[in-house]
Amino acid sequence: MSSCETFRELLVFHAEGVLAPESIRQVEEHLASCAACRQESEQIGRIRGWLKEPELFEPEQDLAWELLPGKLAGRAASLPSRRWNLAGLGLPQWAMGAAAIAALACGLIWMMRLHVPRPPAAAIGLAGSGNAAFLDRVHTVYTREATVQYLDGCHALLLDLASTARKCDRNHFDVSLEIARARQLLQQKRMIDAGPSVPNLEQARSLCDDLERFLVNLSTSRECESGDALQLMERSIERGQLLLRIHVVSSDIS
Amino acid sequence: MKRVQQGDMHAYQEIVQRYQRKVYRVISTYLHNREDALEVLQDTFLKVYTARSTWESRFSFAGWLYRIAINASIDRFRRADRGHTASLEDVMESQIHQSATVAASVDPLSKLRGQERRRLLEKAVRRLPQRQREVVSLRFFAEMKLEEVAAALDCPLGTVKSNLHKAVMGLKEMMLKQKGVLDYEQL
Repeated sequence: MSSCETFRELLVFHAEGVLAPESIRQVEEHLASCAACRQESEQIGRIRGWLKEPELFEPEQDLAWELLPGKLAGRAASLPSRRWNLAGLGLPQWAMGAAAIAALACGLIWMMRLHVPRPPAAAIGLAGSGNAAFLDRVHTVYTREATVQYLDGCHALLLDLASTARKCDRNHFDVSLEIARARQLLQQKRMIDAGPSVPNLEQARSLCDDLERFLVNLSTSRECESGDALQLMERSIERGQLLLRIHVVSSDIS
Repeated sequence: MKRVQQGDMHAYQEIVQRYQRKVYRVISTYLHNREDALEVLQDTFLKVYTARSTWESRFSFAGWLYRIAINASIDRFRRADRGHTASLEDVMESQIHQSATVAASVDPLSKLRGQERRRLLEKAVRRLPQRQREVVSLRFFAEMKLEEVAAALDCPLGTVKSNLHKAVMGLKEMMLKQKGVLDYEQL
């Protein structure tokens, strides 16, 4: 490699200011004595200058930019939070969380005591119906949480499926990961179905069933599906308004 | 961002205000259509909000934000491409022609030259290989340092430098080829 070629490899980094002092000195000495490299350096500098021009890829000036932050804040505020944010919880939220955990712990202790021989209820004044109500409450909370998780999983899967870009060949897309996730979600759905029936979750149950049908179709797809088959699936998502319904139902039961 | 994690919507608006134009420029290197770019911009900031709990303060917020924007842009471009009829270049040529026609009727020659040069450079940036384009957009439009670019793209600093070198040299070559078409005695 000639001296000029060696220095030309460094010109972009020289312009970026990321060279070591010794390299800077050598490059500048060379530029002072080499007109061709000096021209190359000037051209690189001009390209960098143009790339830094604020007008490059700059959006048009209009009112939309002033309004966008407020508009997005409004939309964001109406979205459900999709994950727990322990770091962001304040004292009241921690207190409520601790109380909920304590309640669940009491429930578990009570369930364990079911296996211990007890005196007749009348002797200690316990009302069986009150304990049953508590257990129902625990089951309800569990089923709601499992349903929300299932819906979240379906939501993420549908979005990923619609944007999948892993190609097997020119006309086919690799959906093996999505198939595996669909099978996992089907297992989750079976666990929800095996649990007790919870009132006020009829709308969610109907949506979960629709999603289950979609998941069954997906889980029996080929790992390399054609673009046409994927478009059919996307149309099925749109036709069933699955994403919108997930959004609405998740908001309701959260 | 910590305030946003606690649900502070004013802080969220400040973030959108602060980054919206830079993020738009990065997205525009993938999507030439203004409506598409604006839609991806909004999706990006909404995702920042819905996924706010996943951001950790030990990581750069800007890097995280631009990663979301780039992924969303690539997804949108590929989805549009899948069932698409006109190629990216077709649409871009048509836009360049239209805007040049409008510009010629209202702007003085020097301004027109500047606009044409920017359009050619935008076109050249869009022709760069993906990783080079990512590096250029984060370095120049998001105004990140090379170390920050490396963190945002989750790749070694050496890879960023190498891609930056190739990108700048590639852009120089592409712009030099335009010398016969337009008055580029400056280059």
